[in-house]
Amino acid sequence: MDKFRMLFQHFQSSSESVMNGICLLLAAVTVKLYSSFDFNCPCLARYNALYGLGLLLTPPLALFLCGLLANRQSVVMVEEWRRPSGHRRKDPGIIRYMCSSVLQRALAAPLVWILLALLDGKCFVCAFSSSVDPEKFLDFANMTPSQVQLFLAKVACKEDELVRDSPARKAVSRYLRCLSQAIGWSVTLLLIILAFLARCLRPFFDQTVFLQRRYWSNYVDLEQKLFDETCCEHARDFAHRCVLHFFASMQNELQARGLRRHPAGRSLEPCPVPEPPEDLDGGSGKAYLRAISSQEQVDRLLSTWYSSKPPLDLAASLGLWGGGLSHRAPTLALGTRLSQHTDV
Amino acid sequence: TMDKFRMIFQFLQSNQESFMNGICGIMALASAQMYSAFDFNCPCLPGYNAAYSMGILLAPPLVLFLLGLVMNNNVSMLAEEWKRPPGHRAKDPAVLRYMFCSMAQRALIAPVVWVAVTLLDGKCFLCAFCTAVPVTALGNGSLVPGLPAPELARLLARVPCPEIYDGDWLLAREVAVRYLRCISQALGWSFVLLTTLLAFVVRSVRPCFTQAAFLKSKYWSHYIDIERKLFDETCTEHAKAFAKVCIQQFFEAMNHDLELGHAHGALATAPASKAAPMPPDGGEEEREKLRGITDQGTMNRLLMSWHKCKPPLRLGREEPLLMGNGWAGGGPRPLRKEVATYFSKV
Repeated sequence: MDKFRMLFQHFQSSSESVMNGICLLLAAVTVKLYSSFDFNCPCLARYNALYGLGLLLTPPLALFLCGLLANRQSVVMVEEWRRPSGHRRKDPGIIRYMCSSVLQRALAAPLVWILLALLDGKCFVCAFSSSVDPEKFLDFANMTPSQVQLFLAKVACKEDELVRDSPARKAVSRYLRCLSQAIGWSVTLLLIILAFLARCLRPFFDQTVFLQRRYWSNYVDLEQKLFDETCCEHARDFAHRCVLHFFASMQNELQARGLRRHPAGRSLEPCPVPEPPEDLDGGSGKAYLRAISSQEQVDRLLSTWYSSKPPLDLAASLGLWGGGLSHRAPTLALGTRLSQHTDV
Repeated sequence: TMDKFRMIFQFLQSNQESFMNGICGIMALASAQMYSAFDFNCPCLPGYNAAYSMGILLAPPLVLFLLGLVMNNNVSMLAEEWKRPPGHRAKDPAVLRYMFCSMAQRALIAPVVWVAVTLLDGKCFLCAFCTAVPVTALGNGSLVPGLPAPELARLLARVPCPEIYDGDWLLAREVAVRYLRCISQALGWSFVLLTTLLAFVVRSVRPCFTQAAFLKSKYWSHYIDIERKLFDETCTEHAKAFAKVCIQQFFEAMNHDLELGHAHGALATAPASKAAPMPPDGGEEEREKLRGITDQGTMNRLLMSWHKCKPPLRLGREEPLLMGNGWAGGGPRPLRKEVATYFSKV
């Protein structure tokens, strides 16, 4: 019981904070990734734009997918979306809430990458150097258009012999970097203002609905975790008893052989399954194990959990399961099982 | 101590998701670190470049994948479950598939990271494809026809090695390097995007299809793992108790022997005389732990039977008692049917 309590507290404290922690970790990984990535502009006419824009957009997409992958709640949300209704109505509002929370967290790392790339400027310079208007710069007055294009393509490569130590290159590069940083800071400001407004204005709209949805989405997540945990616990106890049964059956077989002197040596005949010793349970209170104790029952339990989740009404589900799944289990076991859940 | 072990075990199991994520992260980091510690050394010779680079690109991922499988304890569990005789417990191929898939997924992380880092770095690609650079587009195209093909190949093969490159009159080295690295990085990012997309699709689409079967496979694979561990634990406990009792009996026999003054050569008949001396206080508990299995032959038979004929997944509370009790006769009748359907279905 106190084990359950300890785990429950752990889960409750960790559901939101784990997701936030993963989000921050991914953002830190993004920064490290960007700083260790060796930017390499090709400085060729057609390839520049492709490379620059590709580098600005592809890693954010991959990071977004990583953010969705690392977040457990995305799977929970899809499960909640696709499950059959069973005894529990589906509320699209909850699914929308979970979706938006998952998306918000997954968007952090891509935005970090994009902002870093814009504030750094290399991507922008590489991508748009060929599209600069040569009229803006006096240095290009006495060059033919094709020479200008060739020159502009190599602006991003400082060491190239054509543009080395050229004031024209520096001018174009500075211009583009300034533009890139202006865009970067504007985007940052915009995002922060949006986040601030969303946070501040939310209480003005549908606060009660919001609170309900937050509660039930948290509930769905916790319920899934607790179910997995209970299955683990059940599997462990099931295995424990199975192994002890096996040893006991050996013991009984020995006794039986001792009493009746059967011919020995047929090791492949079906092993006689004996009556278990009375004290195996030891009164340890594992009521749910008494109720679910065979492969068929476990399979049926898992199918029912998926196809027809119990209603969110503990009094109603007591009446429901009275004649339902574990018809062989005594009502006492049911009572103890449900009261276990109520305590939790 | 069993309780403490159980608590720690349970904590690890409960946090399995984050535990596994942590392992994946560590493997990815290790792979990246391995790459950066590796000293890439392009041979800069026409025939050898491609072979060396492809080797570096493909052999370490294979090794890392196999290493990932080997280091996973569950591989032996999968093999055991696959090859055991059915006994009382039929085998479920869905569970085997689930176990194999989850192991393969974990083992694929390090190779994918290696390939991605190799492509994003660019040295490998540069070494492999330097002879395939379009010289006509990037350098002095007019000089190419006058050059025999082997000479051109020899020249271009030296692009990755700056200190011996002597073809600046044909093609500037930096231009070729930039070109190839750009393509390599584009390929690298596309590869990363593709693998994350694949992983995302697999992870998100699965609940739409086989969720019920997935829950079952997950439960039973976890069960098989725990059962194996608990069996090993119980055997260890039994072995300890066996050893303790054996040694106690030996000392008692010695003691008895000394008391009798070696009168009957009692060492040879020590086991027979164990009925006489009173066992010390702790002995009862140890004997209980033995659960009646007290000799080598029986233990061997137990271990063999565990492998050849695993017990059914049905705890015996409902077993029909072999008495002429009307109530017991009426009750278990549906149980019999259930047993029959269990076997025929599975």
